[in-house]
Formats: sequence, structure tokens, C-alpha cells
Amino acid sequence: MKKFLINLLLVVIFIIIYLLQINVFSYLTISRIMPNLLVIYVLFIGLFYSKTAGVTYGIVFGLLTDLFIGRKVGISAIMLGIVGLIGGVFDKNFSKESRMTIMLMVVVSTIVYEIGSYMIGHFIYDYIWEIIPFIKILLIESLYNVIITIIFYPLMQKFGYKIEEEYKGNKILTRYF
Amino acid sequence: MRRSKKGEIIGIIVTILILTLLIILTNTESSNLSYIENIANKLVNPIQNGLTYMKNKIHGNTSFFTNINDLKAENEKLIEKNNKLEETLRELETIKAENETLKQYLNLSEKYSDYKAIAADVISRDISNYSKTIVINAGTNSGIRENMTVIAAEGLVGFVISATDSTAKVQTIVDSASNTSAILSSSRDSVVCKGVLEKKRELKAVYIPVDANVAQGDKVETSGLGGIYQKGIYIGTISKVVNTTNLNDRYAMIETAVDFNKLETVLVVTN
Repeated sequence: MKKFLINLLLVVIFIIIYLLQINVFSYLTISRIMPNLLVIYVLFIGLFYSKTAGVTYGIVFGLLTDLFIGRKVGISAIMLGIVGLIGGVFDKNFSKESRMTIMLMVVVSTIVYEIGSYMIGHFIYDYIWEIIPFIKILLIESLYNVIITIIFYPLMQKFGYKIEEEYKGNKILTRYF
Repeated sequence: MRRSKKGEIIGIIVTILILTLLIILTNTESSNLSYIENIANKLVNPIQNGLTYMKNKIHGNTSFFTNINDLKAENEKLIEKNNKLEETLRELETIKAENETLKQYLNLSEKYSDYKAIAADVISRDISNYSKTIVINAGTNSGIRENMTVIAAEGLVGFVISATDSTAKVQTIVDSASNTSAILSSSRDSVVCKGVLEKKRELKAVYIPVDANVAQGDKVETSGLGGIYQKGIYIGTISKVVNTTNLNDRYAMIETAVDFNKLETVLVVTN
């Protein structure tokens, strides 16, 4: 029952984040560049839930965003799936206690996500290569994502440990070292 | 080592403050410098004014006192006159605004009188920083099909890439994936307009013919080639021509007539 509630909550949070992204953050921009909340969210699921859940939720959320707003179905699905996978891998190798590592994880996954989607877009839609504007967008977006992570991290951590206790139970030891 | 709860909260508040500052500073239209300059001026101005006043008073001591009665009478007259003028000005301004909107309506219907169009609102924008597709609130139920042209009062917006019952996705011309075939209104030379990443109101015109004469301020409209856009829809004006050593590689930047940041209502051309 509790597991079902957690999954339901994850989907509800996705809808809230999606609405925030299209309505609020398209106006709250740093020099016209939006953050990408979905990357942070999927990374967080991969980190606290499990690798499989990260990939599954990444693909499902990616498919939904593609259906809502994308041009071709699949690009964000693939990239968000990869972000979920990265979250799972990070969970095995790093501690989630330190703020610094979380910030670095967010930067790495944002960069992977954006470079991936830009490359795929380049091959499918024939974008013109614009390296410098792209790097500028990438840096500002990563910075914005990090700022948002700093603000919401205590909340994410609290919820995350609830999920972790439910799913991993006594198996988690890293937290106590 | 864990940080204390208090420190954590202070850190979060500081980050929120920095974020708001960043958002405000990077989004103000006028340059940030003039803003700071303004504040500095406001601080310094009263002192400077006071000093100037003192100086003038000391220098023009005699005339200041002799003319004071005349000045008072004149002042009253002028205030009265000023009030009247301000009143008429306000009236004129409302008339002017009214006139402009009426003109706009007239122009719009004249320009696109031979198109049948459905009006729709923009309900959602793309969440990624690279693509600039939008979603509008009219779909197949109102007669919208794929590949229909979408325009705004100012000019071309894009075309419909897919439609559901009540919504439709529109690929704008400023999207990085968009290629629009266009011609220069004056010289009839054909170019291809591509969207660029950095700016939401700029297009890059490439494949300019070697013998073409492109100048800043030239108007650009659709050529009708490619089968999606009708001929002669206004796109924008050329804002910059960039010449390269190889004439084949030269390109121009086009400022679109439509401001995609503020786009709210669009028209979908159905015939």
C-alpha cells in the first residue's frame, strides 16, 4: 500500500514539475535560459529509489513530455532514461550526504542530457552547429539547476530517505559510514 | 561532518536571494549599468542640487530679490496654463492609442483578407532551451490539419507539425530545426532562413546567391517554395549582413517581425 502511494506521489510530483516548467520557469529565466527540473527529478529517483526505477521513470516521463510538447517521440525518453541510469550508478559509488557531490551529480547529468539531446537533434533535424551559444546555454542551465538543487535539497533528501527505507530496507549501510 | 540546521536554512535563503537577483538583473531590458548609475545619481543628486542652488543664490543675489513679485504672478499664470495643456495632452493620448489599435485592426484584415484563418491562443511553450515549438489551443475539431501555416498580426510564425482534437503543435520559424525558404522583397533573391540557438527573435539567412545585393533593412518574405507556406507572408527585416572571404559562405541575420517572447495569439491559415 505504502509502495503504491509512493509511486502515485512520484507521478503527481512529475505533473507538478512539468506544469512549473512550462508556466513558471519559462518566465523565471537567467538571461532567457530555463533550468531543466525533469533532469534533477529523474536523477533524484535514480539516486534514492533504484537504478531500474530511475530508468523506467525516466523513459515514461520522457515519453510523456515528448507527447506533450516534443516534435518526435523518443528523444527525451532516451536521454531521461540515461539520466536515471546515471543516478543509479552514482548511488552505488557516492555518498548522498554531501551537498557538493549532489551538486556535481546534477551538473554531470545536466551536461550529459543536454549534449545528448543536442547531438540527436543535430542528426535528426539538421541543426547548424553553434558551439559557443550551446556551451553558454549549457553552463547557465547547469548553474541554474545547481541553484535549484541547493534550494530544494533538504526536501528531496527527506522524501528520498523515506523511499529508500521502503525499498532498500536494512540493506543500506552507506548512510552510516 | 554535518552542518547545523540553522546554517542550512541561511544557506538556502542566500541561494534564493542570489537566484532572484540573477533573474532580475539578466532580464531587465535596459543595460544593468544604467540601473546602477541611476541609483548612484539618486544618492548624489540632492547634494549637487543643493550646492548649485547655494551658488546661484550667492551669485544672482540682487535679481533674485527684485523680481520676486513679478515672478510670483507669472508663476501662477504659467501653472494655470500648464494644467490646461496637460488636460488636452491626456485627451490626445487616449485618442492616439485608440487610433493606433483601429489602424492595426484595419491593416490586419486588409493584409490577410484572402486567407481563411482560425484564431488560437498559445497555451504552452517548449521546455528545452534548444527547440522553440509552441502548443496552441485549437485542433482538428476546429479544422486544423498538419502543415497548415500559422501567422500572427505582424508576420509568419510557423507551421503545424501535429494536431490532436483540441490542441496543435506548431514549429516556429526560429526553431533550430526550421528551414524556411524566403525571398528578399526588393531584389527577389531567394535565401533560406534557419533558426539560431541564442536569440529568440533572430534568423540566419544562408545560401545567399553570389550576385545578390543584400543590404541592411531589406524586407524578407516567404517564397512559396516547399509547399508549406503561401507566397508573400512577411517574415522580418535584415538586421546585419556578414561578409566572409568566400562569397558563398556569407550570411545575414534577420530580425523577425513577430516577437516570439511575447507571442500570445496566432492565426492558423486554413486554405
